[in-house]
Amino acid sequence: MLKFSYCNATDLNQALVQCRFAGSFGPLSSRRRSPRAVVSCSRSNLTPIQAVLSCQQQVGSDPVESELGSLADRLRLGGLTEDGLSYKEKFIIRCYEVGINKTATIETIANLLQEVGGNHAQNVGFSRDGFATSPTMRKLHLIWVTARMHIEVYKYPAWSDVIEIETWCQNEGRIGTRRDWILKDVATGEVIGRATSKWVMMNEDTRRLQKVSDDVKEEYLVFCPREPRLAFPEENNKSLKKISKLEDPVQYSRLGLMPRRADLDMNQHVNNVTYIGWVLESMPEEIIDTHELQTITLDYRRECQRDDVVDSLTGPELAEGSEIHGTNGSATAITREDDLDCHQFLHLLRLSSDGQEINRGRTEWRKKRT
Amino acid sequence: MVATAATSSFFPITSSPDSIDSKNKKLGNGSTNLGGIKLKPSASSGSLQVKANAQAPPKINGTTVVMTPVEGFPSEDAASSLPPRTFINQLPDWSMLLAAMTTIFLAAEKQWMMLDWKPKRPDMLIDPFGIGRIVQDGLVFRQNFSIRSYEIGADRTASIETLMNHLQETAINHCKSAGLLGDGFGATPGMCRKNLIWVVTRMQVVVDRYPTWGDVVQVDTWVSASGKNGMRRDWLVSNSKTGEILTRASSVWVMMNKLTRRLSKIPEEVRGEIEPHFMNSDPVVAEDNRKLVKLDDSTAQYVRKGLTPRWSDLDVNQHVNNVKYVGWILESTPLGIVESHELCSMTLEYRRECGRDSVLQSLTAVSGVGNLGNMGEIECQHLLQLEEGSEIVRGRTQWRPKNAKSFGKMDQVPAQSA
Repeated sequence: MLKFSYCNATDLNQALVQCRFAGSFGPLSSRRRSPRAVVSCSRSNLTPIQAVLSCQQQVGSDPVESELGSLADRLRLGGLTEDGLSYKEKFIIRCYEVGINKTATIETIANLLQEVGGNHAQNVGFSRDGFATSPTMRKLHLIWVTARMHIEVYKYPAWSDVIEIETWCQNEGRIGTRRDWILKDVATGEVIGRATSKWVMMNEDTRRLQKVSDDVKEEYLVFCPREPRLAFPEENNKSLKKISKLEDPVQYSRLGLMPRRADLDMNQHVNNVTYIGWVLESMPEEIIDTHELQTITLDYRRECQRDDVVDSLTGPELAEGSEIHGTNGSATAITREDDLDCHQFLHLLRLSSDGQEINRGRTEWRKKRT
Repeated sequence: MVATAATSSFFPITSSPDSIDSKNKKLGNGSTNLGGIKLKPSASSGSLQVKANAQAPPKINGTTVVMTPVEGFPSEDAASSLPPRTFINQLPDWSMLLAAMTTIFLAAEKQWMMLDWKPKRPDMLIDPFGIGRIVQDGLVFRQNFSIRSYEIGADRTASIETLMNHLQETAINHCKSAGLLGDGFGATPGMCRKNLIWVVTRMQVVVDRYPTWGDVVQVDTWVSASGKNGMRRDWLVSNSKTGEILTRASSVWVMMNKLTRRLSKIPEEVRGEIEPHFMNSDPVVAEDNRKLVKLDDSTAQYVRKGLTPRWSDLDVNQHVNNVKYVGWILESTPLGIVESHELCSMTLEYRRECGRDSVLQSLTAVSGVGNLGNMGEIECQHLLQLEEGSEIVRGRTQWRPKNAKSFGKMDQVPAQSA
């Protein structure tokens, strides 16, 4: 995924964000900006379609503001919320974003999460250039990289549905930052999905992780909610669940996956959303035909480049105390006593050449509603 | 032959008087050569003709809603030139419309105030979310797209796949907004009765300039007859703000019996259904009739094997979406060309469709350098086939050096200055 280079060099305090997860939002500028836009769709459930205009206060002499006041920006169907601490945007699902289930694919959802994260960054004055960093980070050659991505979809939108995504970011302990999302169906107002992602700081040259220093943290805390706000506030929610490593022999696999040109970002690394597609490649077809993906969690370990060849491995996830029921020769773990329609799997993506782990994941699938 | 869900066919459009966009000097009156007509841009404050609905025009991702005018209502090319208050005084009978106009201008003055807006009449063809609408005497469908960040290619411009996705989306929305999307193939009732579907056989795309992230493009599409038994669907993509033509595309469709898989003439009853919706126009892209050669292992210089469809490549019928073929074709195009040049023209012939279990290979041969009198232009031939041999797509692409326009200027720089 390529990012658009957009230079706001005028203001020294203007920090630019570098985002590893294409466009998603990392640390924020120390520059204090009055909240722009006040966009929020009304929470009423009545109207099938609501058009909401984003209001951009033209702050006259501010050169950065006027630069950003392009037509697309002003008319973008999204903007900061009233308190300036989160960003909302509406999207319509296009026909080519819909898959075999006649609903948006999980990759489409992930792309939109990425898009809205990047738009949030851009809206508060950060560029979405892949190299954008705060001055401090730039000096120290630091970048943000995605560590974990967790998406839950309760109801997939169909072609020409309009969804609204709200996103915000905040501090996460000493080593990272997080970005959360909530997805809603505009027509009904119901929450159709939630997502959260965790980011850590890495040295661009050594590719080693680094603690977030206080001065970098200060720079972005300004735009984060003061009180912790979590898309997954419930205790022991699945976004925190540790993912075990899938060990050989694995039940299902798809070997020899290769990045396409379109999968590569400007740095010639594979786009994060591509990994989701690869994880699904080794899913058994009988599950894909009868179930839909409810939850996916991916831990990113290593980046993948253009010439890498990847193996995708899948196996059932066994919860403690569960039994394996053999069905037609294939064993799937049924981990919920009351919900025989739900299946859980562990995944591993690794390099074909030396078996190094690229990422690991887990998915939950629920039976399709006919 | 490929049948896709995004085929465009002709169906009776329930035209209402409101859909006639007679006053706008857009695409001429059907008999004009569309290629020569400059598209009037739907600029941000322009063409705010209003229907009887006191609501402000919604905006989406930079698109402007051009509300189709009420018949007889004097249209204005530039909204800003219309003084609302005297207008109200002069035409009391149009008070509701004028109230709407006033609301709109006040909103425009405040630069897009936030409003909640509900469409009171679904048949108004208002386009808050980029669904698009019929313009031009009911024959042309128009939709705007903003370029999203994940649609950008390596050089920060929209990829050719993104452009083709937009073309596909407008084709299918054209069918939908005209009220017929029966079996997903855009077949008319007469076609459905006879098990006929449209399949695309040929596609030509010419890109003059690629949009970048944040641009808003306007896509117009319409259909015409192609020979006696075919149909042509054309697209014109322009920059929504400046009106500059970015891309022109043309596709040829034939009718096929979906059970026998044989080509079919257009039956008379179907002809009656579709011909009223054909525009009488020349192709928007000059047809490139040069034969597309079939490459093989000896003539191809670059081969990429082992291409397999992913789940996200499949459409609702579990066939690989046509647009994915373009990505695969480019897989075997040498990286050197892709990095230094941009695709300026592409001709594709569709032979067969493929599905989930197919394994494909992509072959490329560089067939011309510096052709056509254009320095630096490169031409390639392509073949996408199943590894067991069946052809899926044949293609030809032309590439011009990136920043070709600035190269032109450099030629004129004086050789030496003392």
